[in-house]
Amino acid sequence: MSEKTPEKIKYRILRFLDVTGFTVFDPVVRLAFREEPRKQIESITKFLVVPTLFVALCVGLWWVVAPNHKTKSGEVPTPNIVFSSALINDTFSEREKTKESDFLLSGDARVQALQEVDTLMSELEAELATLKSTLTEQESLYKASLASQIDPIEEKLDALKAENRQARTDRSQSIEALSLEVASGRAPNSELVEAIRKDNELYAAGRQAENVFKDQIEAIRSDKFKPLETARLDVNAVADEIQFLKKRQAFLSDSNRSVKLEQTKDKLAAQDGKLADADDAKAVLKEAKSLVRLENGVERLETQQYASAMTIYLQIKRSLFTVFVGFLMAAAIAIPIGILCGLNKIAMACLTPIISIFKPVSPVVWLLIFQIIVGAFFPDPETHPFFLFFDSIPFINSLGINPALIFSACTVAMCAVWPALVNTALGVSSIDRDHLNVARVLRLGFWDRLTKIIIPSSLPLVFAGLRISLGVGWMVLIAAEALSSSDGLGKFVWDEYQNGSSFSFANIIYACFVVGLIGFLLDRMMIVFQRLVSFDRSESTV
Amino acid sequence: MSYLEIKNANIGFGPESNRTQVLNSINLSVERNEFVAIIGFSGSGKSTLMSLLAGLEKADTGGVYLDGQEISGPGPDRGIMFQNYSLLPWLSVFENIALAVRQVFPGYSKTQTNEHVERYIGMVNLLPAVDKKPHELSGGMRQRVSLARTLSMQPEVLLLDEPLSALDALTRSNIQDEIIRIWNEDRRTVVMITNDVDEALLMADRIVPLTMGPEATLSQAFDVPLARPRDRATLNANPEYRRLRTEIANFLIEMNEESKRLRSSPDLKMPDVTPHDFTTATSAAFREFSETDVFQLEQEEKAG
Ligand SMILES: Nc1ncnc2c1ncn2[C@@H]1O[C@H](COP(=O)(O)OP(=O)(O)OP(=O)(O)O)[C@@H](O)[C@H]1O
Ligand SMILES: [Mg+2]
Repeated sequence: MSEKTPEKIKYRILRFLDVTGFTVFDPVVRLAFREEPRKQIESITKFLVVPTLFVALCVGLWWVVAPNHKTKSGEVPTPNIVFSSALINDTFSEREKTKESDFLLSGDARVQALQEVDTLMSELEAELATLKSTLTEQESLYKASLASQIDPIEEKLDALKAENRQARTDRSQSIEALSLEVASGRAPNSELVEAIRKDNELYAAGRQAENVFKDQIEAIRSDKFKPLETARLDVNAVADEIQFLKKRQAFLSDSNRSVKLEQTKDKLAAQDGKLADADDAKAVLKEAKSLVRLENGVERLETQQYASAMTIYLQIKRSLFTVFVGFLMAAAIAIPIGILCGLNKIAMACLTPIISIFKPVSPVVWLLIFQIIVGAFFPDPETHPFFLFFDSIPFINSLGINPALIFSACTVAMCAVWPALVNTALGVSSIDRDHLNVARVLRLGFWDRLTKIIIPSSLPLVFAGLRISLGVGWMVLIAAEALSSSDGLGKFVWDEYQNGSSFSFANIIYACFVVGLIGFLLDRMMIVFQRLVSFDRSESTV
Repeated sequence: MSYLEIKNANIGFGPESNRTQVLNSINLSVERNEFVAIIGFSGSGKSTLMSLLAGLEKADTGGVYLDGQEISGPGPDRGIMFQNYSLLPWLSVFENIALAVRQVFPGYSKTQTNEHVERYIGMVNLLPAVDKKPHELSGGMRQRVSLARTLSMQPEVLLLDEPLSALDALTRSNIQDEIIRIWNEDRRTVVMITNDVDEALLMADRIVPLTMGPEATLSQAFDVPLARPRDRATLNANPEYRRLRTEIANFLIEMNEESKRLRSSPDLKMPDVTPHDFTTATSAAFREFSETDVFQLEQEEKAG
């Protein structure tokens, strides 16, 4: 028994790798269980180490090549900058979460948190002061070193300038004299021309000599002074943190929900008194109106949520939600129609022209069409019963269903529907005759034949189609979001492109990796489903 | 009129312009509770004949009658066991059989269905593999599942297309006994295809050979008047058995030879030609050429 258990575990792990499509890691598992170590090491080297080295080589190449290309958004970021942009995005999202919890804190917890923030703040301010003094120190140091390097050169430059100027005036005087002589015919014309030519040449040479010094000065100035740079970054970091703490303080005090609620309630109580005191009709009316307004305010505050800024994680969540809505729409259309087409040649013939024409249409065109159509359906989305309906359902209302979601999802569905449809039709029409014969002998009714024979036998192909559909949908969605500025990863990329801060370019590349990684995971998920429904154990392509 | 009857059936495949006639004027009458074995060479049309009986194929002319009624399509009253098993690969052994049982006995409760399915799985000795999928089974195991599925439907007529071809001798004889028992006890009618003459003699009341295709037809049947129950061990010594065995073997050999003769029949008129001999002419020309060549080379050598 003791011998059997590791074997069992091993096969369970191998089976898992097989189903998820990570068979490359097979030898690692086998090696861990001491199965033919030599063979495993060989295949690990071939199929894991070499590819890893290759990827490392690509990253290295990127690292080397990127800084050489200057763009209007700065240099092409190197991997480390992209990584730090990922960290920055992460910090940003952490801070948003902290602010949200601050906003919702109440009672003693709020007071305590506020105190903590205050002490932290004073510590940081002290730190900032010291850092600032270091900065000024470094600045003056830098200035001094700059001066010590530049001043001698500048002196030389000035001397040269004066010299050149003097030489030039001398030359122009002699040319003037010569021109007089030429005018009176005592000297030939050619001599004057020659003199002018000579003067120009000498002038240019003088300028060039000056430029050598100027370039030297420029080079020294543009040379970055490391300690100063770090000091500046340190100051910025702490200043940033302080900025954040100030926001926290606000959310823990005046902007805090419970505080605001308290204040409004107090006002409401006071208003009661005012209403009782008012004596003429006009005043009573006015006070009563204020009272009602305050009551509404209390009600609103009680359910108010923190309006978080869109962090990259929220954008990812949004994109995933949209793609799933679109994908489900696509599947809901494609599978029944695909089955119909597979079963009925006439239906297939009817749909073939439609499929052929609309399949190659670019997602951008669909996006614009759906944007117009959906826009026309919901001229005023805030008050449209459709959205009010979704808003009234407890869980659904937090999903943020709006026209942008609908037309993005429709675009995804429109582009993703075709592979699923075609594959489903193929799966149904290529069903084994023998299996149909079984159904005929058993005299299965239409419904049983559909659910017990036709659908199960076409499931592997249906899932293969769905897998392609999801991949297409994800690709289309990012483009659609970028183009229509509806929330999601595409919008994140587009915003970064538009705002052009020092980290924008790195953020775009970071988003590129995020999109790729998520697409990969979605595909893996579909592979797992595909493997689970496939009964013939055929390898699915990776 | 017999219980199961094929009357003058013709069947062919392919388009009108290029039709290959597979079965030609087939006439077969099977009595109630009779056990008929059909033997024939591969590709002669045995499975096609089975499909015809099952109602999966329609005869071009003629028809199939069960109890005097013309058959219009397949149904669970004629349980066919397919030669290629036709198991549903996405269902387990149990589910494959349960699908048939639920369809044929819709009144069964869940436990009744389970018991019924398990009885037939046990009959073919597959209880250990009850939850396996067909692709996890060996060929012989699949064949047994297919047989169990057909038997579990308890059809009036059993149409078995080489039901035991993939089994070892021991399993085979066990299942032969099982089939005979079912046929005998439940008074079923059986039409079985086999290419094993011994098996046919052991099991059948009548052996009907199908002639070589294309345009195969059923030839004169051999009655098997051996007393039942037939015992494998003593059967070999039975003179009647040995006589029948040689007779059928000779018939098959003769049929084979006849078809060979037919195939190489000198009906096609060959043109009367004698081949022309090019060898002398070419070799002469070649000799001439090589001689001049050598001559030229010698000349050039001398000159150089
Ligand atoms: N659906 C079909 N379409 C065209 N030709 C067919 C079809 N089914 C069978 N045939 C032809 O009919 C002939 C008889 O086939 P069949 O399967 O009945 O042979 P068989 O006697 O069962 O052979 P085996 O012993 O190998 O199973 C073959 O020549 C085959 O090519
Ligand atoms: Mg056959």
